[in-house]
Amino acid sequence: MSEEKIKAPDPISELKVSSDPEPSQDSTEGSELINRRGFVQGTVGMLAAMALGSCSWQEFFQNNFRRMTKEEIEQTVERLQAEYKQKYGKDFVVDAEGPIDGTFYGYALDIQRCIGCRKCVYACVEENNQSRDPQIQYIRVLRFKDGDMDLEHSTIYYDPEEVPEKGYYYLPVQCQHCENPPCTKVCPVQATWTEPDGIVVIDYNWCIGCRYCMAACPYMGRWFNFADPVIPPDKINVNTHYLGNRPRMRNVVEKCTFCIQRVRKGRYPACVEACPVGARKFGNLLDPNSEISRIIQTKRVFRLKSELNTQPKFYYFFSI
Amino acid sequence: MMTNKTVICLVVFTVAVLFQGIQIYGTGECMAQSHLDSEEPSEKIQDSSEQEFPVPLKPLSKTISPCRACHGPEKDFPVNFKRREDLLAHTNIKLNHGGVRLWCLDCHSPDNRNFLLPLSDGKAIDFERSYLLCGKCHGTKYRDWKYGIHGKRTGSWNGVKNYYLCVTCHDPHSPRFKPMAPMPPPEKPWTPKDSAQPKRW
Repeated sequence: MSEEKIKAPDPISELKVSSDPEPSQDSTEGSELINRRGFVQGTVGMLAAMALGSCSWQEFFQNNFRRMTKEEIEQTVERLQAEYKQKYGKDFVVDAEGPIDGTFYGYALDIQRCIGCRKCVYACVEENNQSRDPQIQYIRVLRFKDGDMDLEHSTIYYDPEEVPEKGYYYLPVQCQHCENPPCTKVCPVQATWTEPDGIVVIDYNWCIGCRYCMAACPYMGRWFNFADPVIPPDKINVNTHYLGNRPRMRNVVEKCTFCIQRVRKGRYPACVEACPVGARKFGNLLDPNSEISRIIQTKRVFRLKSELNTQPKFYYFFSI
Repeated sequence: MMTNKTVICLVVFTVAVLFQGIQIYGTGECMAQSHLDSEEPSEKIQDSSEQEFPVPLKPLSKTISPCRACHGPEKDFPVNFKRREDLLAHTNIKLNHGGVRLWCLDCHSPDNRNFLLPLSDGKAIDFERSYLLCGKCHGTKYRDWKYGIHGKRTGSWNGVKNYYLCVTCHDPHSPRFKPMAPMPPPEKPWTPKDSAQPKRW
């Protein structure tokens, strides 16, 4: 039965064999030849379409940020600035500044001061060019009942007329910038890594959008651009960093970078400056006189989900 | 003989303690305080205070400043040390600091209203450096604030910082932090439950 099937006359393969000047012994070889040719033609056509379309040759063949030479970084930055100028009509500054020597950033948040007003959330959105629709917000403010520390019982959708509410406390959560980050380990293409100054960053151009990192992060600190990000043109922040708040594209993951574009120039992150109660503290862990070091030395601190051994550099503390 | 020795010991101890104190407070602040005897704070004090704790301070409204216009040598209102609920002037002030225990003159100097009460060194404190007086009662908060743990700072994490004074956030007459309206909550993601909701019965 099976032999009959193989030997059964195939009109298409016969046609090909007859048109081919070279005699072929088997019908399968002829079809393979056609397939290979078609494949090569298809590939060339696809690359040409890509070059003419949204993705330029330089972008398509751009290297991982950590493997780029200084010249390549300069070229990339120039290309990006021209691209953003064309897209948003504004002159962008795309930094690629490296870390400041002798710095290792840490963050502290006073959960007895936080009143849950969400000012930090919206300051972050404006500073970091996050998409408004679909909505992306790096900071989630969890509300707990007094005495309850179960994350499952908390809510982020509270909306009273005035905060703080009686009988509740608030716990803002964002990327914890772990010293032992699960998210960077699972990345199959090493598009995310920890910088020497302790900031966990993403190369958006290298990210393939597999979202393994989002599954690995126990703090829900990463966000995915399911659609093209929409930012009101007048609200765009033009002071950007390559690894930070430059406009993202669809299908890449993004996250809090401690406002890398600000802190590498010595400024406080946007959320620190926005907090009306001064609950957010930022500084250099290597400087024993910095705010963050003093807090860790003198106050009661804890880190979220410390049992997972992620070793966050984001500390929550009690000021009283 | 014994008493003489103890006296010498005491003197040495006091000098040592004073020296320690000067070291803790820093020389700049002590320099600034020595200028405070004059009626009007000179330019130098403002400069040095800016170097120490650069703070944007809200100026007092013109209707109530300078204080010496009413509480001065020309038009001397009687000094009242007893707490009253209804004030004749300053009606906008509801004194709600420390329950019923505090009265205006527990912070404002009865002799010269342009200044606050002095520290133990006897030199009056001007309004720009009111945090020194706050620290007399709220010592632990003052210590935390100096290190940047309590209160808000803006500017540069490794350079010049803007310190917010105690009175920038806490109205000294009613210091509890005022509640505010929160920003809108995040959008809820769509779930199949959403469309099912109207069908509940």
